[in-house]
Amino acid sequence: MIRLMRRKRVPALAKRWPLWLLPGAAAIACCLLPWQAEPQARAEKDIFSDVTAEAGITWKQFNGESPDRFLIEAMGGGVGFLDFDGDGLLDILFINGGETPRGKSPNPVRNALYRNLGNGRFEDVAAKAGIDRLPFYGMGVAVGDYDNDGFPDLYITGYPASALYHNNRNGTFTDVTDKSGVKNLGRWAASAAWFDYDRDGLLDLVVANYVQFSFSDAKDCEYNGIRTYCEQKAYAGLPLTLYHNNGDGTFTDVSAKSGLQKFVGRALGVVSVDVNDDGWPDLFVARDASPNLLLINNRDGTFHDAALDAEVAYDPDGNAKAGMGVDAGDVNEDGRPDFVVTNFNDEYHSLLVSNRGAFPYDDWTAPSHLAAYTRKFVGWGTHFIDYDNDGHLDLMIVNGHINPVIELSRTDVSYKEPPLLLRNNGKAVFENMKARAGPVFNTHYDARGLAVGDFDNDGDLDVVFTCLKDRPVLLRNNVGQDNPWIGIELVGTKSNRDAIGAKLQLRTGGHQLVRWINGGSSYLSSHDKRVIFGLGGTPAPRAADLEITWPSGKVQHVSGLEPNRYHKVVEPQ
Amino acid sequence: MQKKLEESTALFSKALKLDPNDLTARRYLAANLWQLHRPEEAKRNLVIFLEAEPRDRQSLLLMGMVSEDLKDYATAAKMLASVPDQVRERPESIVALARSYYHLGETAKARETLNALLGHPAGPPGVFLGARIAAEMHDFETAEKLYKAIRSTYPDRAALGYHLALAQYDAQQFGDAQQTLNGLVDAGVRNGELYNLLAWCYQKQHRTDDAVRALEAAIQVAPSEEQNYLDLGKVLLNAGRLPAALETAKRTVAAYPKSERAYLLKGQTEYRLSQFTDAMASCSRAAQLDSSDPQANLGLAMAEAATGKTDMARQAFEAGIKRFPNDAQYHLEYALFLLELGEAGNDVAKVEAEAQLKTSLKLDPSLSEADYQLGNLALTRGRSNEALPYLEAAEKLDPGKSKTHFALARVYRRLGRKQDSAREMALFQKFKNLEGERAAVPSPAGMRHD
Repeated sequence: MIRLMRRKRVPALAKRWPLWLLPGAAAIACCLLPWQAEPQARAEKDIFSDVTAEAGITWKQFNGESPDRFLIEAMGGGVGFLDFDGDGLLDILFINGGETPRGKSPNPVRNALYRNLGNGRFEDVAAKAGIDRLPFYGMGVAVGDYDNDGFPDLYITGYPASALYHNNRNGTFTDVTDKSGVKNLGRWAASAAWFDYDRDGLLDLVVANYVQFSFSDAKDCEYNGIRTYCEQKAYAGLPLTLYHNNGDGTFTDVSAKSGLQKFVGRALGVVSVDVNDDGWPDLFVARDASPNLLLINNRDGTFHDAALDAEVAYDPDGNAKAGMGVDAGDVNEDGRPDFVVTNFNDEYHSLLVSNRGAFPYDDWTAPSHLAAYTRKFVGWGTHFIDYDNDGHLDLMIVNGHINPVIELSRTDVSYKEPPLLLRNNGKAVFENMKARAGPVFNTHYDARGLAVGDFDNDGDLDVVFTCLKDRPVLLRNNVGQDNPWIGIELVGTKSNRDAIGAKLQLRTGGHQLVRWINGGSSYLSSHDKRVIFGLGGTPAPRAADLEITWPSGKVQHVSGLEPNRYHKVVEPQ
Repeated sequence: MQKKLEESTALFSKALKLDPNDLTARRYLAANLWQLHRPEEAKRNLVIFLEAEPRDRQSLLLMGMVSEDLKDYATAAKMLASVPDQVRERPESIVALARSYYHLGETAKARETLNALLGHPAGPPGVFLGARIAAEMHDFETAEKLYKAIRSTYPDRAALGYHLALAQYDAQQFGDAQQTLNGLVDAGVRNGELYNLLAWCYQKQHRTDDAVRALEAAIQVAPSEEQNYLDLGKVLLNAGRLPAALETAKRTVAAYPKSERAYLLKGQTEYRLSQFTDAMASCSRAAQLDSSDPQANLGLAMAEAATGKTDMARQAFEAGIKRFPNDAQYHLEYALFLLELGEAGNDVAKVEAEAQLKTSLKLDPSLSEADYQLGNLALTRGRSNEALPYLEAAEKLDPGKSKTHFALARVYRRLGRKQDSAREMALFQKFKNLEGERAAVPSPAGMRHD
């Protein structure tokens, strides 16, 4: 069942486009075919514009920075794109940190839920929605419709507990943590991912727990006599937590039963995707100075780690990198998911590409130029994003150092660092787009969370990222809609309603694009669950055919999808 | 004495010019020349003498001693063994024969020869000499036995105890050596040499706190001995106690402001602390103080590389290699620098790195890191068969390095040798855990400790 979707569009005037791209002119540009657009003209506009201020986003992250230099101060916080009120417009949720024993806030520490007003502006309705205050130090958010009622719910991670907020379908949420049994008490939870590991149509929840931590145990590290944050190795790691959704609003902790409990380490990022194409969702867990995990679903409720065989656990010297954020996507276009993992400076962020599904993965970090672009940076949130809708997955990464005194020892590494927008040339080789990406990409931030979504419903992916002790940055994509695209929103019926775990193969003009609806990904953050296929790399399409492999296993073929609009596809009963 | 020897040597030479067949003068001349450390000339005269008087025992003894000096141990052993009575007369000749046997691999004969010292009229000093020779020849068992035999009779108990402990230390009996030294301390012996050795005994037993205390004591009783400061810094560095190591380095520099080694210690510590700009300054000062030291120049190049001054570092490495072309470590470190550039996309640097690695291996085939890097490079290029011999060589040279086992596991996996791969992966995990234990002291976030 297909339904053309007339999503609300943010008025183009709000976008401050150059005159030649204002609505009337834009129509002419469309007639000339976007992929034939005059290159000089296209180069004149920035790829992304910082629209934070004009969107009315004024919230600031508070990290409880203190003389004790608790590591948690340097690690938050997350951000999520979600349409919490079902009005067809993506809203934005920012998760705040919290106070520390000697790092107090003059005002109550609050999250922000920015409701998209549809005119390019947002208003903070967190208090009204009942999610502005957390009873713990907040870290990240995983958005998922765990009760399949069509409204996204929230799992907010933190220390020393996490919380589940059920969406009441009226613009408010109810804290159902105690009832649901997902408190994850005593643990410092970082990223989390909703995914349906047993394919029963209900979203389960995996939590990447970071380290054993206590505000009563301040680690003492100095640099040149200045107190600073200790490295992660000063803290012991924690096991993963896996909660099974019982379908009645409660969850069962199956960490031990599933085998996940034995994987103790400093987990920060997690993404769920079907690595071996067997229809069962697997997990990639990025861990900080602990080997990464590639947890293959045994289809019986348990997992085994294939990271060593896949050669994604360690770097080539056998060192566990400082894995933070992670994402999965088909960057080399072989139909299988590849992975990006963000790491520390000098380690390079990793690009691990599949060999058509065979192990080991190829460490494509140097050949892709990712090594060259990321040596100086400490990376956090990351996402494959076809920002220009040319059909190739590009890459966005946000960076920022942990150590405020790093510049005393390094001339090439800075505390605040610029985000990276890397364009895929179609052969999994990246070009740094900093010259054209916009001023934000030449500005330094201490960035952490990164979420991707089309908040103005114009068919290209916009971006939001958080910054430590600072305002977040909302970026509007100015170029993606220049190329044809097809947007897909899946609605599961037998599968989970969010269709997390679905595989989408779009065929157009002899070309095939493969995408998945991943669970989790990036760092502490949650994304628009719609999929946008960029068609700019294909001959001018009139329509495209889509094959959907639903999480339930059902395969659905959809033909004649018109470009430049979203299509809602409901799983056949 | 020296002057008289030289005068008499001149007289004997004159006598021989007048009468080349004067065998007495020739024998005396040979003896003089040996005493004057001119063994080649002594040998020439002895050869002539022995042609005429092949059974002259004193000359055979002298020929043995001269040959031992000339490192002709086969001749020395043959000559000395032919005149046992003469050899037995002096501890010096006994140890010369023993040393020759050691060099010829005849340990049993060497030990038997040294045993003769136990009842020798020369008494404990002769035994002490024999023990030192045994220790020098790495026969620590014999050395310990000889030292212990004169424990109650040797007049200088401090020297005897120290050398006994040294032999035990060299025999890797660190606990025994430590006990011997502590016995001396209890007996009231206090000197820097003793405390220094005691510190290394503790260090070898992973008792860092005791090692540090012993070195502090060494510094207290011998404040003018720079080595104690340097060793304290080294112990602290090895233990990863970087702030304390830096304090020591600063003390060393304050106490020895003209010492290149002191600045080098400071530079190395700062490097480990990731205080790269400070490390650059320290290594630069070390290089100024002794521009002939490759270590200081190398430290400077590495610090420049670490601060991100890539061009400066490259120039420093290249200048260093021109100055110290035979320093294998220099080639290796330059290669590692180039490999980093290669990793960041500079393919030319990768090719250069490979050449530097091969040069370093040619200069010093024991550099396991060079073998490892060459193997890893081949592995990166998908050449498993080429990688294997390098990695196997690296493993042989340094079997405790986790990364070598990791690379070998990867190569074996690619070659379909699953069991070998599993074995190497298990070894990787084992050594990785050990390395983790060693690095258990927390450091500031983002500080690289190479």
